[in-house]
This record gives sequence, structure tokens and C-alpha cells, in this order.
Amino acid sequence: MEHLEPEVLAQHALDDAPLSADQEGHLAGCETCRTEVEELRQLADLGRHLEPGDRLEAAPPQVWDRVVEELGLRDAPEYEPKSVRRRLVLVGTLAAAVGLIAGVLGTRIIGGEDTVPQQPPVATTRLDPLEGKSGDGVADLIRSGAETELRVGVNGLPQPQGFYELWLINTDGKRMVSLGILDPSNGGTFVVPPNLTSQGYRIVDVSLEPDDGVPEHSRNSVIRGTLPT
Amino acid sequence: MRVVESGELSAAEVAAGFAAGREDSLAEAYRRWSSLVFSVALKTLGDRADAEDVTQQVFVSAWRGRSTFDPAAGSLSAWLVGITKHRIADRLAARGRDQRTLTAVGGVREEARVAPADDRVVDRLVIADELNKLDDPRRTILGLVFYEDQTYAEIAERLDLPLGTVKSHVRRGLLHLRDRLKEVTHGTPGA
Repeated sequence: MEHLEPEVLAQHALDDAPLSADQEGHLAGCETCRTEVEELRQLADLGRHLEPGDRLEAAPPQVWDRVVEELGLRDAPEYEPKSVRRRLVLVGTLAAAVGLIAGVLGTRIIGGEDTVPQQPPVATTRLDPLEGKSGDGVADLIRSGAETELRVGVNGLPQPQGFYELWLINTDGKRMVSLGILDPSNGGTFVVPPNLTSQGYRIVDVSLEPDDGVPEHSRNSVIRGTLPT
Repeated sequence: MRVVESGELSAAEVAAGFAAGREDSLAEAYRRWSSLVFSVALKTLGDRADAEDVTQQVFVSAWRGRSTFDPAAGSLSAWLVGITKHRIADRLAARGRDQRTLTAVGGVREEARVAPADDRVVDRLVIADELNKLDDPRRTILGLVFYEDQTYAEIAERLDLPLGTVKSHVRRGLLHLRDRLKEVTHGTPGA
């Protein structure tokens, strides 16, 4: 049985025009079409009772920021393509054990042929193994012009199942940022955003990360140290 | 940092990405549906801070519970709307408790209960929003029918359009709104 055309049903629901005898006959015997007419009628009725106050209002932008923070999303995806947002989002909660993070900031390996004279470090810390872990290292914070870098050397880190990642954790225990992948053989030098350490990001942490695509800190830290103020 | 381009993914693609745990799909879902979630909460709760909290809770709990979302069973927006209603109900229940506590402690007069978020609040907001997205002259025509209660003849004269054209726009506009409402609050179009 052919149902009535949607436009015929809409027309009928709107009391726009009477149906033909054939259409009336079909409608009388067709539950589906009658239900549809009733739906359209209710919709039209609802439409006629719309008020100017019935309009969508966007949630304030901080709500998305709070969602990103509570979920500890690594990349803090944009939801408004054209909006200019912070390039770096430092969020997450160690206490909630979610870890957190922002984008990987970039790694620079300085090779042996590097002829740029090294600046003396402005702060240094030993990286000591956590309980049950082996390996150690040293991290030097270096200011070179406007740039701040963290130079990390490591010894005795076991060959990983997965990879090592270098983090700066805030001394408030709630926020951290990934500086990038750490080569356990050669160490590396990592660009640090300006003023990060002065904001409390002074705990240098090397974690072992499984190749599982999960961007958060694995909570499997291997060596760690705190840069002095 | 990834930038989500809008208007490229179908609702089904966003839903599939969301179910698969893609963060950019979460961002896209938020971009598409957070206004509806926030507006339903705001209209029902009447408090901006509460509406912001509910919106945050809806997307956080949706993301954490994404394994329970079945794209085959309905649209992502319908699922989000369902979560929204639950969160609003929770908030109203908490208010009721606070109010009873206040009543017990300070003899404060119990205020009239706020009506829970019924389907009509959601439907009205969706219809109003979808109406706004229509192209002209359909948008104007349906706006005159709905908001100003004008007859088709009056609209035809006012817009200098044939009566049959006006009627056709109203019929097709109504069907379009019906389809959109179904997709947003129930399942997939045509389902």
C-alpha cells in the first residue's frame, strides 16, 4: 500500500487544504500515516507557540576549557576552528591520577658536532631512580638569549618496551607538561616555554610509556629530580 | 594541535569517531551540541552557573561513558540530550534537598518546584534553532507562520510571492523541521 506523500500529510496537518476522497480513504485505514499527521500537527502547534526566548545560547568558552581540563585531554582539540586559543594548554591533575597534557613541545638533539658554545646552566638537578627502578641522570636548565632549554643526560636506563618521555611536573602536584621523547642512549636538549619553571614546573620526570597511543603520563616514572629555584 | 574543520563530517561520522575515542570527535560533538545542552539546562534550571556545570558534566560523563554509546541505537545528539536530562534531574533533586534542609533549619518557605526538563523544552529549542538555519524565503515564511501567526495569504502579499509558493515552503519547511528534530532527539534521519 502506497502511503500518502509527505507533503500531502503536511498539508493536511496544517489544515491547509482538504484531502481527496482517495486520500481520506487511505488515511482512515492507515495507522502509519495518521501517526505522521499527528506528529506534524504537534510540531506545527509547538512552532506556533515558540517565543523569542526560545533560542540556543552558546556555552561560555571556559566550559570547554573545563571539560578539557577534567578529562586531561592531551591535544585540547579546537572546537571552534577560527578561534584563537592558547597554543599551550597546561592542565590535568596528578592527584586525579589522570595526568594530563598539552602538546609535545619539541625536541632538539644537540649532536657532538654542535659548535655553539654551551651556556652554563642556571639550575641543575640529579635525576635519581624511583623505588625499584634503575638508571640515573642529570638535567641542566640553560638560558640562551630569550630561549630556555633543558639539557638532559641519562645513564643506565634499561632498553625500553615502549619509549621514554620527559616531563616537567609542577610542584603543586597537579599539572604537568610533556617536553617530548627522550632517547635513553644520547639524552637530549628540550626547548622549555618561557617562565615555565618560575611557575613551579620544576620536577624533571622521565617516564616509561607503552606504545598504546594513550597520550597521558603512564604513571610509570623511572628517574626524577627537582630543579632548585 | 589539531584543528577541526566544521561542516565536513556527517553526524554519523562524528558519532563513530566519538565512540572510537577520538578526541577531535569529542571536540566536534561539543562544537555541534554544547549550545543545545547548555540552553536546555539554562532554560530548565534558570541559573547560568548551574547550566555551565551541567554542560561540563554532560560532556565529561559522555566521554567517560562512551563505551555505552551505541551509534546504531540512535544519534549522538539524542544520547547527549538524554544525559542532559539526567544531569538536570540530579541538579533539581539536589536543589530539593538543599531547600528541604533550609526549610528544616531556618523555616524558609519552600519554593515551588521547578518543572523538570521535559521534551518540549528540548523540542522548542531544536525547532527554533533549525528554523534559523533554513534558507530564505523559507525561514522568513515559517517565522511569520510560527511567531506572528500570519495567514498564508497575508504572507504571500507581504513577501510578494504566489500563494502556492508560500504553502509549499510551509509544508516542506515543516517536514524538514520534523526530520531534523527526529535526528537530533531520537535517532538517524528517516529512522
